[in-house]
Amino acid sequence: MRQRQLTPSGAVAFGLILIIAAMASAGVAGLALLAALCAAFAFLEVGAASAIALKRSLALVIPLALFMLIVWVGIVGRSPAEIAAGTSGSRAAALFHVALVCARLFLIASVLQLIMARFALTPPLGFIAALRVPLVCKRLLVFTLSLVETFQHAIDRAHTALVACGLLTSRGSLRNLLHAWVLVQTVWLTAITIVVGRLRDKWPIENTLAQLDRALARGAQRTLSRHDLIWLPLALAAAVFAIGAR
Amino acid sequence: MLTTPRLIAIALCAALNFSIGSVVYLTKLPIYLDSIGTILCALLLFPDRRGGFVCAWISGALSLVLSGLLINPFVPWFEMTDVAIALFSSLVIARGADTFRTHPLPTVPFAVRVVVYGVCTGIIAALVSAPVVVYLFGGVTGSGSAFLVALFLKTGQQLMSAAILSGLAADPIDKTLQVLFAALLYRATPTEFIKMLRTSYDLAATTTHT
Repeated sequence: MRQRQLTPSGAVAFGLILIIAAMASAGVAGLALLAALCAAFAFLEVGAASAIALKRSLALVIPLALFMLIVWVGIVGRSPAEIAAGTSGSRAAALFHVALVCARLFLIASVLQLIMARFALTPPLGFIAALRVPLVCKRLLVFTLSLVETFQHAIDRAHTALVACGLLTSRGSLRNLLHAWVLVQTVWLTAITIVVGRLRDKWPIENTLAQLDRALARGAQRTLSRHDLIWLPLALAAAVFAIGAR
Repeated sequence: MLTTPRLIAIALCAALNFSIGSVVYLTKLPIYLDSIGTILCALLLFPDRRGGFVCAWISGALSLVLSGLLINPFVPWFEMTDVAIALFSSLVIARGADTFRTHPLPTVPFAVRVVVYGVCTGIIAALVSAPVVVYLFGGVTGSGSAFLVALFLKTGQQLMSAAILSGLAADPIDKTLQVLFAALLYRATPTEFIKMLRTSYDLAATTTHT
């Protein structure tokens, strides 16, 4: 029997369609339709966690928007279309162009954050296992997520060691700037040492990879759910409209 | 081709790209330093150029996705630049692998290779990135190089030439630094890890699937 809830593969496909449509959309009407679909997704699929997702999207886009305002409205003072046409241009047109780019980026960031919020309660391993991708891709995703943690440990260890030996200070200083490269090298070597230890000793003894492969194969979801079959055609239709509408 | 140690190397290089690239992005300097891991991956896998290209490209793509998710939604659109850097790294920069690891350090050959490879990578990256900057974002991006684009536009350049000139001004310096850092990290990487990558050693084959 077909399951009802949105699957990770369906959510990823939905996100990819909306992202490509947001970038390819020609005008405000198309972006507005995509935003409406995104809002419906947030309301129906994500619920209260949407607020957190939207806050995170704003936190990503607002600094970019401020920076682009300084450069394009403040310094250049013309929109790209006016520059291409060789006209004198106006700051209002530059502002409109920056607003359009920021709206696109906000939409993209929101789609991604909403999907992350939708599966916030699913363990990362379960999410990756449920994806309809080759096993090697799943393994790579799991290793990457695992190594992000390893990298954080490596940074902590390397930083502590270099502070202890007097090369770095625990607060901001010129010495930190001068020896930043030593920190990068130490982090790299620490991470490599941890990884070699795992590859050579820990994983073979614990049979980690065989267990990981079994877990990844067990979680694979082969069919799309009912919700997938609702959201994906909607996203495709919205994408066709957004790309075609001027 | 994608053995377990290689998958680990890809993930490590992606993490390196992401961590250094993110710090530099937040400073708004007109450099990126977000492909050190990509170049390093190609060096680590030399002389397997095909494997080097695939692994370097995947590590770059992974870091672009991570950066796009967490820091800067602009960057995933520069995927073609990542492909170009991975290709050039595996076909050309990796040829310097032996020089980069020779002890004691051959200062002049080392410096010449770093500068030549860096400038060439920079020119390629600038030419591949410019159409993305112009046609996808109308010249508007969130990196520090936007200041250079603005500067060239102020001097009366058209958008495409401003994007190319800004790339040609910033990218060779940026990529020379990236090749230098990748070469130094490659030099410091333990031989045991490099051997794991270059042989067909795969941990999955040594574990039992019961």
